[in-house]
Amino acid sequence: MRRLLNVSRIQLVNLPVVLGLPLLVLGLVLLANLAIFAVINDSARASEPVNGAVVSFYFVLLSVHLQTMTQIFPFAAGLNVTRRTFFGATTLVVLGQSLAYGILLTLLRLVESGTGGWGMGLRFFGLPFLVQHNPLLQLLVYTAPLLLMSFIGVWIGIVFKRWGQPGIYTIVIGAGLLAVAFAFLVTWQQQWASVARFFVEQPSLALLFAYPFALAAVFAGAGYVTIRRAVP
Amino acid sequence: MTVAGLSGVTKRHGETVVLDDVSLGFTENRIHGLLGRNGAGKTTIMQILTGQNFETSGKVEVFGEHPYENDRVLRDVCFIKESQKYPDMFAVHHALTAASLLYENWDAEFAAELVEEFALPPKRRIKKLSRGQMSAVGVIIGLASRAKLTFFDEPYLGLDAVARHRFYELLLADYAEHPRTIVLSTHLIDEISDLLEHVTLVDKGRVLLDGDSDELRASAVTVTGPARSVAEFAADHTELHREQLGGFLRVTLSGAIPERSPEDLHVEPVSLQQLVVRTTQQATGERGFVGAAHERGTRS
Repeated sequence: MRRLLNVSRIQLVNLPVVLGLPLLVLGLVLLANLAIFAVINDSARASEPVNGAVVSFYFVLLSVHLQTMTQIFPFAAGLNVTRRTFFGATTLVVLGQSLAYGILLTLLRLVESGTGGWGMGLRFFGLPFLVQHNPLLQLLVYTAPLLLMSFIGVWIGIVFKRWGQPGIYTIVIGAGLLAVAFAFLVTWQQQWASVARFFVEQPSLALLFAYPFALAAVFAGAGYVTIRRAVP
Repeated sequence: MTVAGLSGVTKRHGETVVLDDVSLGFTENRIHGLLGRNGAGKTTIMQILTGQNFETSGKVEVFGEHPYENDRVLRDVCFIKESQKYPDMFAVHHALTAASLLYENWDAEFAAELVEEFALPPKRRIKKLSRGQMSAVGVIIGLASRAKLTFFDEPYLGLDAVARHRFYELLLADYAEHPRTIVLSTHLIDEISDLLEHVTLVDKGRVLLDGDSDELRASAVTVTGPARSVAEFAADHTELHREQLGGFLRVTLSGAIPERSPEDLHVEPVSLQQLVVRTTQQATGERGFVGAAHERGTRS
């Protein structure tokens, strides 16, 4: 256990970059949005501007953990950290980081609603479909997709370490083919209405917490299996 | 006591045989040399012993256990290689902090001394260091970690001769105070031959020599003198190598220094480097011969 924690600390040796970079991006995107909405004149503005820019934060997390595997894993493995320990340590970091960011987003949403949308009715954090009335549920809804994006990044990073560029092409082409096959199947069977109904009828907690959480677990499992024979 | 060993280990990469039935052992608290030409299989041997690569068959044991994914074993092993990768965003001090978290016997004071010794800028990013400075980072981690089993795989790339000799001195001094098992893989044999207590020579995936360096040095002699008397003398011995310069002949002969030799001949013990070169050359020659004979055999 001590070794697991020590290896986690290796991933955080350069703390400002690992934890700070996503926050910097989040802060800059928020500021940019505030600036844009401040200069748009009132008449042109929708009554309550909603903005999906917070998504960028989730993608930064994906790239951070992709780099955990492509940058820090070869270093640690070179110093004889086992793959299993490194993966366990990464999981600890991802869990802690996602939870901390989830808390932060929950708090920022409270600030947002408390300040009337940063004084201009902007909904940056409190996207309509994201809002939960229970703060704990709100936290889960923010955290689960963070976990998912982190573990997708981890898995892609491991695939790159194990199979290089061809591995990445396989993922991209494979994902594309799956999407096309799905679209083809649904169009052919004329089932778009029921697909739409599925998403509408699902409770938002299932869509925003349960499914991302389950998918995160799937990607974590895939990562663990893939790393076992990766040569750093 | 053998700390790390291979017995009958074969490693295949598709059709190529990288290691062919290799058996060797590294004894506790000694400095070993793992020598051989480029592509001989030195790095693969060290990778397998540190669980970073996988044997196709055979037995691998480090501290009595198989090293693959084995934290109990690997926490006492440090493997410094020329190709060690560092995260782009790591400065020198990040890498040292990380290493201090991994190695129980890490000596931070010693590491700081070494940083000064090699004039490394602690806050500079490793990516921006010169090749020699980057090698110095590895050397520092390898020394300050004081792991029970430390491998140095040609760690000196880009280090100048002065820095390399400083590394050898520091290694020897620290080893005297903190005995441990050290394996040096290198082809700068002359530079480190005084350091080595034991030598393993590999070539084309096979072990050619394995023994104490003193014994090995005593296992061959060079004989120099007038061509005719050298040739006469050599006739009774196994000849490893012959070079002629005008009327003079120099041969490398297998065996200890003979008690008596003709007065016009100059007999001296072979240097480690010569022994390694001659043994490798001879093995290559024999293999060529055996291969040709084998080919003839199959054709008929």
